[in-house]
Amino acid sequence: MVELPVTLAGIKLHNPTVLASGILGVSASSAALAVAHGAGAVTLKSCGAEPRLGHRGPTILPVPGGLLNAVGLSNPGAAAVAHEIRDFRGRCEVPLVASIFGRTEAEFGEVAAIICDAHPALLEVNVSCPNVSSEFGTPFGLDHDATARITRIVKDIAGTIPVFIKLSPQAHNIGSLARRCQDAGADGITAINSVGPGMAIDVYTRRPILSNLSGGLSGRAVLPVAVRCVYEIAQNVSIPIIGTGGITTPEDALQMILAGATAVGIGTGVHSTGISIFQEVCRGLSEYLEESGFTGLDDIRGAANDR
Amino acid sequence: MTVEMSTYVVAEVSQQADLVKTIRLLDVPTAMPGQFFLIWLPGIDEKPISVSNQTSAGTEFTICGVGPWSTAMLQVEAGDRVGLRGPFGNGFALADNTLLVGGGMGVAPLRYLAHRLMEEGRSFDLVVGARDASSLIFREEFGRWGARFATDNGDLGHVGTVTELLSEMLRLRAYDSLYACGPEGMLAAVRVIADEHEMAYQLALERLMKCGIGLCGHCCMEGSGLRLCVEGPVLTREMLDGTAEFGLPHRDGSGRRRT
Ligand SMILES: Cc1cc2nc3c(=O)[nH]c(=O)nc-3n(C[C@H](O)[C@H](O)[C@H](O)COP(=O)(O)OP(=O)(O)OC[C@H]3O[C@@H](n4cnc5c(N)ncnc54)[C@H](O)[C@@H]3O)c2cc1C
Ligand SMILES: Cc1cc2nc3c(=O)[nH]c(=O)nc-3n(C[C@H](O)[C@H](O)[C@H](O)COP(=O)(O)O)c2cc1C
Ligand code: FES
Repeated sequence: MVELPVTLAGIKLHNPTVLASGILGVSASSAALAVAHGAGAVTLKSCGAEPRLGHRGPTILPVPGGLLNAVGLSNPGAAAVAHEIRDFRGRCEVPLVASIFGRTEAEFGEVAAIICDAHPALLEVNVSCPNVSSEFGTPFGLDHDATARITRIVKDIAGTIPVFIKLSPQAHNIGSLARRCQDAGADGITAINSVGPGMAIDVYTRRPILSNLSGGLSGRAVLPVAVRCVYEIAQNVSIPIIGTGGITTPEDALQMILAGATAVGIGTGVHSTGISIFQEVCRGLSEYLEESGFTGLDDIRGAANDR
Repeated sequence: MTVEMSTYVVAEVSQQADLVKTIRLLDVPTAMPGQFFLIWLPGIDEKPISVSNQTSAGTEFTICGVGPWSTAMLQVEAGDRVGLRGPFGNGFALADNTLLVGGGMGVAPLRYLAHRLMEEGRSFDLVVGARDASSLIFREEFGRWGARFATDNGDLGHVGTVTELLSEMLRLRAYDSLYACGPEGMLAAVRVIADEHEMAYQLALERLMKCGIGLCGHCCMEGSGLRLCVEGPVLTREMLDGTAEFGLPHRDGSGRRRT
């Protein structure tokens, strides 16, 4: 069997599957469930400075081809999350990615300081949540200058902890945005966050179903968007990419890696494929490498970019 | 299972107690006892509710008004529409020679369980507890199956807790296993008694649930990480053994641990 280790900004993963932010990952125990099912790394749900209850239900709504979510960045606050990070490290070996957001540029720095104190393996910066715009305004991640400034603020605080910036597929020219992040000191890029936002209406009550009215689209339907984003980013940066969005099969993960991703983020697939998705993707990747005569993922990464 | 939302017309509403009502919907997907649906009340919220009965005449959900969503559900009338998706979770495995232990609103899923056990000709006994006689819902139905009752204030049946009644029943005769649903303190007491008697058990738990489909992580049990909406809400001894938070306060909507 071909082994699948990858190195992500100096951090070793025994396989390239990464639990995406906001899926399980509310607590050390829920993240550990993904580890028990084979995830190579896990990302915690994004946290801010203060606890947030999030939107009322429905917040997560399956639709054909995926799901809409507008959870509203519910989180227990950075201090409580720091505790979960320490708890996780006490019992799991795989790298933990902490994810942060801020309502202001300064808040990104404050949250980063609290979280970095707990020493996650990686720090992901969510500048791209589409579901709180009524409250926070347009996501920072659509503004190249603001994203570069936030990258610099967080990187200054994170020091040796690698910083990944999580980008939105809505960003104009995502390749050059990723380049701005790299220039501002980012150690990697995670792409993509959920798409849209989208809306689903119940035809009998004639109302939008999500309490937030609209929510980000994820799952199968977004895979082609995510693959295209990762492809464009890979052409513009030399830092590693966690390719995320719509992965439900090993072939989906392969597309991401061929587009240039070092690791693959898995979110909605935990529902549509099941929690066995981490193991299934790894088995499929390994078989593909073996059948094609490759010795590791390094042999194929970004191969689609070569032509 | 339908994971996507559909709205259903409420066929009938009945009242069991001051703050307890049952709604009946038609053509709902088939569920096992112990499974639940997410019920959306447009403009208000969406919450998990167990099936309290399912027959060819429809599917019933019994709701106690305790907060904003459940209180609004008490205003729902026949002809109104509510959204539904599910059924979710594992449900109870049906077995012979069992004892059902219900407390408070926990009697709702046990009611459907008892109906199904009857239908399959499996023998069971029932003990049911409540604060007082007026909050002892489905009393007549349970009475027909020979249920024994306990009330905190002694209004009806045994004066005291349903777990005292459980211990008494276990002194009288042997059962192969226990089913229980009710407040978590009661479930913790049932577990201790079951352990003493080395009996198998299936306990139906509650946690805050945002998705019902195993994604959000809010219903994960501390320690094991088990998702109550997928691997639960019915837990056996083996499933509870790796769990650190049983009987303790759990997380609120933000994910913060309650103290
Ligand atoms: C798998 C599952 C099955 C469930 N089945 C049922 C059911 O069949 N019938 C039913 O009425 N509810 C059931 N619930 C509980 C239900 O989902 C809601 O939590 C409940 O209706 C309260 O929602 P709310 O928004 O009105 O109040 P919230 O604002 O959520 O709660 C208001 C207050 O009441 C407390 N509280 C919550 N639930 C209860 C309760 N059951 N008894 C006493 N206090 C409570 C809360 O801690 C809080 O302090 C179930 C929950 C789960 C997870
Ligand atoms: C329920 C849910 C909650 C999410 N919460 C977050 C979050 O808190 N922070 C974040 O950066 N991304 C969040 N996301 C986005 C995912 O991490 C991921 O980028 C997106 O869903 C695309 O991947 P997928 O198709 O594999 O789900 C969330 C997605 C879902 C479905
Ligand atoms: S309710 Fe979301 S994982 Fe169980």
